[in-house]
Amino acid sequence: MSRLLVRGGLVTLAVLTGLVLIAPVLVIIPMSFSDSSFLEFPPTDWSFRWYENFFSDPSWRASTLSSLKIAVLVTITAVILGTAAAFGLVRGRLRAKAAVAGLVIAPLIVPYVIVGLAVYAAALQVGLTQTTLGFVLVHTALGVPFVTVNVAASLASFDQRLEQAAMSLGASPLTTFLRVTLPIIAPGVAAGALFAFITSWDEVVVSLFLSGPELTTLPVQMWSGVRVAIDPTVTAVSSLLLLFTITAFAALGVARLIRNRRLARSHR
Amino acid sequence: MTTTTELAGAPVRVSGVTKQYRDARALDQVDLDIESGEFITLLGSSGSGKSTLLNIIAGFTDCDAGVVEVDGIDITKTPPHKRGLGMVFQHYALFPHMTVFDNVAFPLRRRRTPKAEMVRLVEEALDIVQLGHLGKRMPQQLSGGQQQRVALARAIVFRPKVLLMDEPLGALDKRLREQLQLEIKRLHRELGITFVFVTHDQEEALAMSDRIALLRDGRIVQIGTPEELYEQPAERYTAEFLGESNLFSGTIVNGVLPYGEHGSIQVRDGSADGAGSVMVRPEHVSVLRPDEQVPVGCNALRGTVREVIYLGSGRRAEVTLPDGTHVVARTPADRRHSRLVPGEPVVVTWAKQHGQVVADGPPADEAAIPAGRAAVPA
Ligand SMILES: Nc1ncnc2c1ncn2[C@@H]1O[C@H](COP(=O)(O)OP(=O)(O)O)[C@@H](O)[C@H]1O
Ligand SMILES: [Mg+2]
Repeated sequence: MSRLLVRGGLVTLAVLTGLVLIAPVLVIIPMSFSDSSFLEFPPTDWSFRWYENFFSDPSWRASTLSSLKIAVLVTITAVILGTAAAFGLVRGRLRAKAAVAGLVIAPLIVPYVIVGLAVYAAALQVGLTQTTLGFVLVHTALGVPFVTVNVAASLASFDQRLEQAAMSLGASPLTTFLRVTLPIIAPGVAAGALFAFITSWDEVVVSLFLSGPELTTLPVQMWSGVRVAIDPTVTAVSSLLLLFTITAFAALGVARLIRNRRLARSHR
Repeated sequence: MTTTTELAGAPVRVSGVTKQYRDARALDQVDLDIESGEFITLLGSSGSGKSTLLNIIAGFTDCDAGVVEVDGIDITKTPPHKRGLGMVFQHYALFPHMTVFDNVAFPLRRRRTPKAEMVRLVEEALDIVQLGHLGKRMPQQLSGGQQQRVALARAIVFRPKVLLMDEPLGALDKRLREQLQLEIKRLHRELGITFVFVTHDQEEALAMSDRIALLRDGRIVQIGTPEELYEQPAERYTAEFLGESNLFSGTIVNGVLPYGEHGSIQVRDGSADGAGSVMVRPEHVSVLRPDEQVPVGCNALRGTVREVIYLGSGRRAEVTLPDGTHVVARTPADRRHSRLVPGEPVVVTWAKQHGQVVADGPPADEAAIPAGRAAVPA
C-alpha cells in the first residue's frame, strides 16, 4: 500500500517536473500561429503569416543559412581537432598530460561572457568579427572539448591489439585507422560531432559579440527579434526548430529500436 | 589448402636481441635460430620475456639491440604491416564490427586479391578450422573457441611463412584447450609453415613443440626438443619448470654424490664431477618395503611414507627422508603403492642411469637482472 503511494507520488512529481520544463516551450507553438503583431497567448486570431515571413524575409533566410554553414564547418573542424587531441591524450606519452587536458577542456569551464569579450577584442584587431571564419574559429574552440571527451572515452576502452592484428594482416597505419579504429570509436566521434554541431548551432552569448549587420547567426537574430524589435517570427522559428529536434530524436530512437530488434533476432 | 611443405615456411633468426624497459630488462642478448617449418615454443613463467620476444619478431616492439631475420632478410626495421607474418593473440583480437567472413577476408583485401579468388580462399580457410557455416555471424555471437578458430583462419588465409601465437589457448577451458592443441598441430602439419608459439604451460609446450626455448628473466635457459629438456635438463631451473622432479644437491666426486650420514647417490655414467644437483624424475623412482631386495645398480634411500594419492592413471607417493627431503615416486595404478600406508618405513630406489646431473644455475632471486647493470646500446 505504502509502496503504491510512494510510486504514485514519484510519478506525479516526474509529470509535474516535465510539465514545468516543457510547458513554456509548448506555449510557443500556439503563439506562432497568431495573427497578432505582438507576442500573444492564447492567440485571438490564427494565421501562418509568421511562417510566411520567416521563409520570405531575406534577413531570416541569411542568418539561417549562415548558422547552418558555420555549424557544419565547426562540426568538421572540431571533430578533426578534437579526435586528434583525444588520441594525443589517451595514447601519447606526454609529460604534462593533465595540463594539456585542462587546456582542451577550458572552453567548457570559462564563462561564455568572458570568452565572448576576449574573442571580441581579439577578433576586432584582426578583422574577424562578422566573418564566417571568425565564427568557425571561435565555435570550434567551444566544440572541441565535447569531441575530445567523447572520443577519449571510446579510445580508453578500445583494445589496441586490434590495431596490432590489423597491421600483422597487412594494413598500413592509415588503413588500420580508417578500417579498424575509426569504425569502432565511431559512436564516440558521432556523439562528439552532434554536441559540436549543437554548440555552434544554438550558441548565443559569444556569437552576440561577433555578430553585426554583415553576418548574424540564427540564434542571435532570434535574440534581437525579441529584445530589439518585437518580431513574432521568432515564435515560428522556434516552433520549426522544435519540430526539427523532435523529429530527429524520434528518428534516432526508431533507428536504435530497429537495430536492437535485429541484433536480438540474429542472436537467436 | 595445398599441402606443399617445401617453400611454405621460412627460417627465423634472432640474434643478440636486447630490450630494456624502464625498470626491467625484458630481453638480454637473446639468440634463437628457428628452422623453416619448425614448431617452436617459447616457454617461461609470466614476465620472462616471451611476449616481448614475439612482439619484436612481429614488429610491434622495437628492440634496443640485435637483429631479426626472416627468410635470410633483416627485418629489424621493417614495419609490422610489411613483414607478412601471421599473428594470433590470446584474446582473439577479432574486429568486432565485421562479420566472420570479413574478418578472414581482411588480409586478402589489403593485398587486393581478386574477388572470386578471395571468396574461395576465405571459405577454404574457414573450412580448415571447421567454421565454414558461420561466415555471416558477428564475432560476439561465437564462443571463445570458435573465435580463436576464426582468428587462426584469418592469420593463415594469406599464407604467411611464419605464424606467431601469443598464448592463443590461454583464455580457453581445459577441454577446449586440448582440442585446439590438436587442431593447431594438425594445421602445422598441413601448412608446413613455421610456428612460433608462446605459452607458460609446460604440458602444452611438451605436447606441441618440435623444440622448446625455455626463457627465464629475459634469457634463454635451454633450447631443445621436449625430450631433451625433460630428460636432460642442463639447469636446475629447467628440471623444476618442466614436470615434477626430485633434486639432490651437493658435490659429485667420482660419479657419486655423498648424501646424508648413511648414504650416497650414484649418477649416470659419464657425468662430470663438481658442484650441482642430481635430478630423478618421479616415474623412475620405486618404493620398496625394507625387507625387499634392492636391484643391482640402483640407489636406495630410507624414508617413511608421507602420503599416497590416487591419480586415475597411476599413484603418486611422497616419501620423507631422514633429513626432511621429500621424494616423489609415480607408478602405474596396478602396482604396489596402493598398499602403502603413511608413516610406514620404506626404501626409495632408482637405477643410477636415471640420475641426471644438472647445474644449479642462478638462484631465483639473483637471476632478476637489475636495470642498467649492462649498458644499453642506443
Ligand atoms: N610496455 C612495457 N613497459 C614496461 N615494462 C614492460 C612492458 N612490457 C613488458 N614489460 C616487462 O618486461 C618483462 C617481460 O614481459 P613480457 O614479455 O610481457 O613477459 P611474458 O610474456 O613472458 O609474461 C616483464 O618484467 C614486464 O613487466
Ligand atoms: Mg605474455
